[in-house]
Amino acid sequence: MKIQSSFWLAVAATLMLSACSTSVERLDAQEQIDLSGAWNDTDSQLVAREMIEDSLSRAWISKFVQSEGKDPVVIVGRVKNLSHEHINTNTFVANMERELINSGEVQFVASAANRQEIRDERADQDLNATEATRKEAGQEYGADYIMQGQINTIVDVDGTTQVRYYQVNLELISLKDNRKVWVGEKKIKKLIKNSKLRL
Amino acid sequence: MHKLLIVLLLSLTGCVSQQNNNKLANELRQTTPEHILSILQENKPDTSDIAQYYLNLGYLQLLSGEFTSAIESLSTANNEMQLLSAISITENIAAGTVNETLRRYSGYPLDRVMVHNMLALSYLFNQDIEGARIEMLQADVEMKKLSEGEELSGQLASTHLLSAIIYELLDERSDAFISYQLTENILNKRQIVLPEGLKLGLLRSSKKMGNDQEYDRYSKLYPSLAKQTRLDKQVFILYFNGVVSNKEQRSIVVPSFNGRQLIRVSVPGYPNTRPLQQQASISDGLHRVNSALIENIDTLAKEDLDKEYPSILLLTTTRAVAKYKLVQEAQKKDPLLGALLNLATLLSEVADLRSWNMLPATVQFGYLETNFDNIAISTNNQNESPVNLNQGKQHVILATGLSDKIFNYQQ
Repeated sequence: MKIQSSFWLAVAATLMLSACSTSVERLDAQEQIDLSGAWNDTDSQLVAREMIEDSLSRAWISKFVQSEGKDPVVIVGRVKNLSHEHINTNTFVANMERELINSGEVQFVASAANRQEIRDERADQDLNATEATRKEAGQEYGADYIMQGQINTIVDVDGTTQVRYYQVNLELISLKDNRKVWVGEKKIKKLIKNSKLRL
Repeated sequence: MHKLLIVLLLSLTGCVSQQNNNKLANELRQTTPEHILSILQENKPDTSDIAQYYLNLGYLQLLSGEFTSAIESLSTANNEMQLLSAISITENIAAGTVNETLRRYSGYPLDRVMVHNMLALSYLFNQDIEGARIEMLQADVEMKKLSEGEELSGQLASTHLLSAIIYELLDERSDAFISYQLTENILNKRQIVLPEGLKLGLLRSSKKMGNDQEYDRYSKLYPSLAKQTRLDKQVFILYFNGVVSNKEQRSIVVPSFNGRQLIRVSVPGYPNTRPLQQQASISDGLHRVNSALIENIDTLAKEDLDKEYPSILLLTTTRAVAKYKLVQEAQKKDPLLGALLNLATLLSEVADLRSWNMLPATVQFGYLETNFDNIAISTNNQNESPVNLNQGKQHVILATGLSDKIFNYQQ
């Protein structure tokens, strides 16, 4: 009889597990949630904010304002993903752009991909818009600096335990003479322990 | 008791789905990947077979040139395998009482690493070399997870080789050299003759990274290759030969000690057949190179099953005892019900025949340097297929004996 009871218990447990349904809960976008330990929105926002704060607190910006008499114009270039994960660097770049624009300390121009779309629109206006509303070509604001960078990881693994070390490096380079005026680095270390058992 | 009878019989649906899958894998030897893919896409996988289904689906999509879909399917399979890497208590209870097909397919070490190879190739032919590089890094982490001392379980030479090629394409010289060396180590441990393309890779990458000591060592080991003049274009060829063996069920039925019931025991096994070894041949009109073995997937699949055998035997024995006791109890209450339940326990006793059973039997590698803009590749004794090289200096070509499709990544 004992065997029969365990048998039923096993069957019931299996059926119960297979009956689990999907549930959805809305969350605050600022809430920190780590599920797998992989790079997530919290990392992206945190790194972007801290690194942009750091870049804007350095001497290059005041030197530029002093010598040129205007705020520097910055563009965010490519952030290369050299990590172990398929990270959508576009969201990270967007976070950095937002931090830069909202700081009010620099002016910001559209990225290469956006510019092309805008140029296409201008070319279209040239043909179709009225004289009064048409925008001329050749009036673009040229950037003074480009921000580029890369995300690297080192993963150390032992069975079900992992240490993931992320290192984000960003550089601000002068478009006029290729000088690097700021180099920033942000590190994140995560210890991930996966369970050896599941239901 | 009647309900139990129904549950036991319901478990047979999993067995039918396994048989269909094995049938499709066998048909792949005679027909095109596109045809099998269209049949597979019409089937919906059982909850317990999701990883196996998407592994096969993704591989066929890769061979059919549907790279974006292949990435999606293989990533689904990979995520499922990662989720199921922990041991399930309930599934093991079910496997120890009904049969092992009630356990969700979580992939063998071979699957867990090979999925990254297939993903990397899908990214590469989808013109995303950085995506391919990420997959190789993930494969490296997976291999470290699976490594146990000197054992070769989950350690794939083809993964290190593919990593080396990708690093070489990205001009990451030291990483390329290390990966070529790791490939060499595994092939030596497996007593597989080093392909000429690998020897050239070791020479080339040690020289490029300026490691004179290693370059001198390899030059002494392979003097004729060290003297070869470097030509304009590099062609790396991966050739997928055949289809890996399918598992088969081995069962015995014996009467119980008192002769009042029949006991059936089923375990999975691989047939003792050796896959037909065919090579790909690459020629630029002046030089001809044949692909050489880099990974015997058939052997790896058998090793993975061998490693699992102690737990399979334990569960099979537990199951036999549990089913015997159950029938015995039923017989005491109602002999007819006991007989029916005995029949149900016999029918439900099936071996777990699931595996990534559409993989190639072997992975082969060839390397050619040429100054010509056109080369020809012949596979499986079929006609030569022309490949144009004028769009780049470095080429990764994937050919398979299952179809005449040839994929070429060039940069």
